[in-house]
Amino acid sequence: MRHSVFITRDLRRTYGDGPTAVHALRGIELVVDEGELLVLVGPSGSGKSTLLNILGGLDRPTSGTVHFRDLDLGRAPERAVTEYRRRHIGFVFQFYNLIASLTARENVELVTDIADEPMSVDDALALVGLSDRADHFPAQLSGGEQQRVAIARAIAKRPAVLLCDEPTGALDVATGIRVLESILHINETVGTTTLLITHNTDIARLGDRVVHFGDGTIRRIDVNATRVAAQDLHW
Amino acid sequence: MKLTPLDRKSSRDLWRLKLQALAVALVLGCGIAIFVMATGMYDSLERARDAYYTRYRMADLEAALVRAPLAVGADLATIPGIAALELRSTGLGIASFAGSLEPLSVRIVSLPHDRAPRVDGLVLLRGRWPATDGRDEALINEAFAEANDLIPGKTLTVIVKGRRRTLRIVGIASSPEFVFAIAPGELLPEPERFGVLWLPNADASSWLDLDGAFNDVVVTLAPSANTDHVRTMLDRRLERLGGRGAIGRDRMLSARYLNDELGQLRTLARILPPVFLSVAVFLLNVTLTRLVVTERANIGLLKAFGYADRTVGWHYAQFALALCTLGAILGSVLGRFAGDYVASVYRAVYRLPVLEYAAGPEVYGGALAVSIVAALLGASSAVRNAVRVAPAIALAPPAPTTFGRLAASIERFGRALDPRARMVIRRIVRYPRRATTSVIGLGLALALLVMSGHFSAAAKDLIETNFGVAQRMDVTLTFAARQHPRVLHEVARLPGVLTVEPRTSPEVVLESTRHTRRDVVFGIEPDAQLDRIIDIDRHVVAPRTDGLILASGLAAKLEVDVGDRVRLRATDGRRSSAELPVAQVIRSFVGAAAYFDRERLVDALRENRIDGALLRIDPMHRRDLALRLKEIPAIAGVAFADRTERSLRKLFEQGAGFFSSVFLTFSMVMAGGVAYSAARVTFAEQQRDLATLRVLGFARSHVSGVLLGEVGALLFAALPVGLCLGALLSQWMMSRFETELFSFPYLFDSGAYGRAATVVIAAAAVALVWVRRDVDRLNLVAVLKSRE
Repeated sequence: MRHSVFITRDLRRTYGDGPTAVHALRGIELVVDEGELLVLVGPSGSGKSTLLNILGGLDRPTSGTVHFRDLDLGRAPERAVTEYRRRHIGFVFQFYNLIASLTARENVELVTDIADEPMSVDDALALVGLSDRADHFPAQLSGGEQQRVAIARAIAKRPAVLLCDEPTGALDVATGIRVLESILHINETVGTTTLLITHNTDIARLGDRVVHFGDGTIRRIDVNATRVAAQDLHW
Repeated sequence: MKLTPLDRKSSRDLWRLKLQALAVALVLGCGIAIFVMATGMYDSLERARDAYYTRYRMADLEAALVRAPLAVGADLATIPGIAALELRSTGLGIASFAGSLEPLSVRIVSLPHDRAPRVDGLVLLRGRWPATDGRDEALINEAFAEANDLIPGKTLTVIVKGRRRTLRIVGIASSPEFVFAIAPGELLPEPERFGVLWLPNADASSWLDLDGAFNDVVVTLAPSANTDHVRTMLDRRLERLGGRGAIGRDRMLSARYLNDELGQLRTLARILPPVFLSVAVFLLNVTLTRLVVTERANIGLLKAFGYADRTVGWHYAQFALALCTLGAILGSVLGRFAGDYVASVYRAVYRLPVLEYAAGPEVYGGALAVSIVAALLGASSAVRNAVRVAPAIALAPPAPTTFGRLAASIERFGRALDPRARMVIRRIVRYPRRATTSVIGLGLALALLVMSGHFSAAAKDLIETNFGVAQRMDVTLTFAARQHPRVLHEVARLPGVLTVEPRTSPEVVLESTRHTRRDVVFGIEPDAQLDRIIDIDRHVVAPRTDGLILASGLAAKLEVDVGDRVRLRATDGRRSSAELPVAQVIRSFVGAAAYFDRERLVDALRENRIDGALLRIDPMHRRDLALRLKEIPAIAGVAFADRTERSLRKLFEQGAGFFSSVFLTFSMVMAGGVAYSAARVTFAEQQRDLATLRVLGFARSHVSGVLLGEVGALLFAALPVGLCLGALLSQWMMSRFETELFSFPYLFDSGAYGRAATVVIAAAAVALVWVRRDVDRLNLVAVLKSRE
């Protein structure tokens, strides 16, 4: 039986107060299982990123609870949340957020240096197919390559969870597919629980489940009987 | 007036960047404050001096002589070019008053019968003038009165020419002649120990054995007069009457001191403001360049909307002008207050009747103009970038910053470091110009501190070397008239005297082929222990038997060098003369003098004389000695070295203390400003990287380490730069402060360097802690979701 990685109960996040308050999340109930690849879809402002940020320890809920295993992310002290990010979470952003003054290898080393049982930097880069570009600076890499370095950096510490916020949003189709292949490959081989935000309904076919967001709530959750391979996608 | 959207944007930008803006304005303000203070003070002091000299008829020439009948005055008055003259009787005496332990020196100056002096007039500050026929009534100079709590009604016991009298103080006065009252043979004023007494002519003359005669003449010149010509004529007519050679204002101690002080103020006003201004220009440049980079898209938009390039440029130039105007106002206000304070310090030292700090509109106007120039200089490159960038390019996202590998050796070293250290090193290498200017800015702050510390240290060293190495006597006696050396036996029998050495210091006229100069030649014995010749490197220089040793200042005035010949003519006694070669030229520590082997000197002057005695005493008998000295008519001056040292220290501390604290504050502002600005820019540029590190799980302390690391590395690099700059600046400043009478040696004071470095590090640390708060508040989501 699969264990749950995340459990949220009546999770709410409100920005501001009074009549101008923005209710980004309005009572999210969600359980994410270990090893699962969950795709989050929905229009802009529907709450996907807010949920991802809260799950990743970048933001805190206004009310409700969110647990990573036994850790209450809503109430844990800042130090514990930093520790949680360091040990368990890998992030991949739309804008790669690589450090321009460090090479690909060094960007990955940033993480392996502080992780408990990281994979080797070479393995991480090999997983995303970038062994031969390890000593290049971000400015010397294409967009897709930069994103794959970001993925390598995210998974090098063998995180329990990989959170990807529109990882292909800034990429063309072919490059996007290459990046998604990397994510799927890691999900399958390492068993990393993966949450992936996308606007692209076709990409949703990659996931075990697809969570549809609308106006800060979960409208419905679809279960894909079979996951398609990345190279079979086209958009 | 309606504000345009761009104006509103300007004011909001200014508000958003308020702390950086404040750093620029403060640093600029410091420079402007020094400019306003020093320039205003210079003008005020010069104005006060000139007004005083003019109103109270400061002498242009003074000639001392042995004795001349008053009738000679009519003859002197016929010399073309003389506007007014005053014949006076003057002399030195020893004074004491109820409660004074040690004998004081006084100079007696006669006042004309029933009128004010035509030359060297007096300002009566308190009390009344002595009655014209009144005996035993005297005016005393203000500084002496204040230092010894002497008020009208009190009495002084004075011995002159062996005759003791009790004088009643009837008034307190000051005179342009004694803005500084300096005892003969001394270099600095000691108001506690030396005073001036003005007595009615009849009284003074009879006391000084000058009935119907005079021994001093002071002269003012007609505007068109040729000073040298009048001087020569005076000398010629007074020669047969025992004239000692007339001196101009350049040789009158009080006037010389004022001149030196004015020169130092001018130096201060010229050297320091540019240091601050250049740092302010740099800070402004950093701030504005960064603003233009972050506003790139806005600039593109404005241009796309149809704003002209020059409108966009002006928009950013306004920002700089606003900052600099703020700096100019801050600096002017600060400079004004500092000026008032310095004026109050000066009032205590200089006895000018009116000395108010008053900077004219030209000073404030100059400050504003300087600020505007600084603003334009600082803004130029950023404004140029804003003007030049094409709208399409400005609207497109900027190309990512390209980093490269460093030299192989640095990379090898870098591999041993963690990635954050590599980030720091590569960023510094990537932006070398910015790193260099930060290093120079921090270095300048440090240099300024080193220099201010150095000034105090140099003054302290000057005092310690002078009293510890050169002049090691406890007491200096000045005789009323030259004596034969055999009196030293009598001096040796005075209570508590352990060692006696003669002082032979005749006043002479030194003549080279081009110049003539009245000065003192010191006759030094080869084995002298109490008064030794010291050069700037603190080496004891042995007196020469083969010729004169000249202080470099004097050699320069005479335009002579080693091997040249100088004619020496005594101004008193037998008035014999001799031609001597210059054997050595030294950079002396204190005073601009000539030295010769004592025996050879008395041979050359054909007169075995001493002018005073130097004593080492047993401190246990100091009181007995002091009491005894008060009674000896042949002694005209007594100086206890420890008292002289103390008043010298006080004099230096008054000036140096204030300036040191000003420099300390201003340098901290500068260091803090530069560090804050560097950290701010680093933070702004690295926000995304720092946020990424936080997301990756680095703790706040680790993340701030990147920021602190960069500024820390710059600070680390700035330390040697600042210390070297400080050493150079100190040397240069000291050479600019060098006067004919004092040389300030460069000395390495590790404590001063250590303290300066600590202060700069502390100021930078405060600035960094401030910026670190922003790292802690970093909004991770917002930063990471935005496009680079």
